[in-house]
Amino acid sequence: VFTPTSAAIFIATGIGLLFYFRHEKAKVIEQQEKDRASKAYGRPLVGGPFSLTTQTGEPYTEQNLLGKWSLVYFGFTNCPDICPAELDKMGLILDAAEKEHGKIFNPVFVSVDPARDSPSRIAVYLKDFHPAFTGIVGSYQAVKAMCKAYRVYFSTPPDAKPEDDYLVDHSIFVYLMDPKGQFVEAFGQVATIDDMLEKMRVEISTWKSETGTTA
Amino acid sequence: FSNSRVETPTLPTRQERQKCWEARDAYFACLDGVGVVMAGTEGKACSAGNLVYHKTCAQSWITYFNERRKLGFQQKDMASQANSQNKR
Repeated sequence: VFTPTSAAIFIATGIGLLFYFRHEKAKVIEQQEKDRASKAYGRPLVGGPFSLTTQTGEPYTEQNLLGKWSLVYFGFTNCPDICPAELDKMGLILDAAEKEHGKIFNPVFVSVDPARDSPSRIAVYLKDFHPAFTGIVGSYQAVKAMCKAYRVYFSTPPDAKPEDDYLVDHSIFVYLMDPKGQFVEAFGQVATIDDMLEKMRVEISTWKSETGTTA
Repeated sequence: FSNSRVETPTLPTRQERQKCWEARDAYFACLDGVGVVMAGTEGKACSAGNLVYHKTCAQSWITYFNERRKLGFQQKDMASQANSQNKR
């Protein structure tokens, strides 16, 4: 029965709910603004700790990525054409980016072919590419762990022998990491030099406005 | 991590890679000339080019390049089929 009392309660409840929802909505919007401001959302979990060895026999870990913008590429020295092309592309990018921003970059070539790529072999290989490259190699387990952290697929079997003739199937990306060692972007084969330079320009500029320096 | 036993197969330098690509391109151009897609099915044709190709490139590379050639043609076929279907 629709009495005046129940009508009053009904209206009061309605008004109460209205204010409640407005309040909650305002809270959500405020939280979204906070998130956007701190850029705490949308960063994929790519990267993380790793431990390999450079072409000069030095240990190299995720700590070595700090303080510069790193460009990390996973490949192998016996690669028919894609790795050389990507490394050449990275070389051109480095030349242009260094002219524009200074020597704040750290190019890294990670071998996904532990059976054949030794430090000396990767040293010889990298002589054909930009001199700033650090090449890193490791045991099958160490390489596998780093690939897992970087979400890189690679097909090398654990029991491959150094005298075997095989190709390694692997994800083809250049990973841009910021001076805190955090993932920024993965550039595929179709990314042009200009695309990548533009993205780097934007990131460095944002970094500078937040920290006061470019790296 | 350092293996001082078996020396791994020679690492191709930039020049050696270039030579292999050129041998491959010459051989593939010859195959195009006789209308063959699948390397190895051309019979006696292009045997000189094939020889140079095998001399300058590792077998794993040859297999990879030949397979990619085949896939390239298959994709072209599918694209032209799709095109002609769209035109109807």
